[in-house]
Amino acid sequence: MSDLKIIFTGPVGAGKTTAISSISDVPPVNTDKAASDMTKVKKNQTTVAFDYGVMNLNGDEKIHLYGTPGQERFNFMWDILSTNALGVILLIDGSRKEPLNDLIFFINVFKDLISKTALAVGVSQLDKSANKCLKPYNKKLREMNIKSAVFEVDARSKTDISLLVKALLFSIDQGLEYAS
Amino acid sequence: MREDMLASILSELNGTSADIEASAVISTDGLMIASVLPQGMDEDRVGAMSAAMLSLGDRTSGELGRGELEQVLIKGDNGFVLMTHAGEDAVVTVMAKPRAKLGLIFLDVKRASENISQML
Repeated sequence: MSDLKIIFTGPVGAGKTTAISSISDVPPVNTDKAASDMTKVKKNQTTVAFDYGVMNLNGDEKIHLYGTPGQERFNFMWDILSTNALGVILLIDGSRKEPLNDLIFFINVFKDLISKTALAVGVSQLDKSANKCLKPYNKKLREMNIKSAVFEVDARSKTDISLLVKALLFSIDQGLEYAS
Repeated sequence: MREDMLASILSELNGTSADIEASAVISTDGLMIASVLPQGMDEDRVGAMSAAMLSLGDRTSGELGRGELEQVLIKGDNGFVLMTHAGEDAVVTVMAKPRAKLGLIFLDVKRASENISQML
């Protein structure tokens, strides 16, 4: 039996907790607490330690899913959670003012891990963004010399999130075939 | 005003024992509400760490059948960190010296967090 670990990161409100709840095959562990900072404009609760879920693959393989808090004050959790991770899923909230800045920021934070492993980017709430288009994200990733799939996702959709996870797994090991 | 009153409870707490080096009241999402910390200690860091530890403590205590969480205690070479709930939405974090008498500190911190929870 082999176990894989991937992390979900990204800014506050991108849908990390929701995404893990959507695809986890076990009841997810959340550490949500009432928000008292700027976050509360968007949502009532925010993750303060991590989210955890498990996705079962074919056979005995399991993927452990860890979601980080979004706020920078929890950056010590980013380090702790990224230890031994096999890849990073970056969720970006497309409806924020400067989503590309979020993309650059999180890629820089995790650049050592990403350079050794793999990255897949999911953009949520793209329909509420100004230009409703993934092109700027692809362009920015090319400029940064980062290879990554970019998808529009709805964090509540199991199909969307598992597609994102599969894209990540495929870029880690192109020889393997993963079924849901 | 509220912050001043909270700070005075914390100062009093720090004064009850020479072993207590720092104390703070923090929202459960990791933001400092009031603190009496030594110079050079980063408020944001103390706040975020306390929130993360306490939330994990909550979950662990519940999932492993230990009921409601009362406190999280961390012991290092150079002393203790003690975290307790002060009501639903706040955490009291206290840092103490390595040879501190824990029983007394538990008692003082419990009293202080009861007072604090009434003010929040």
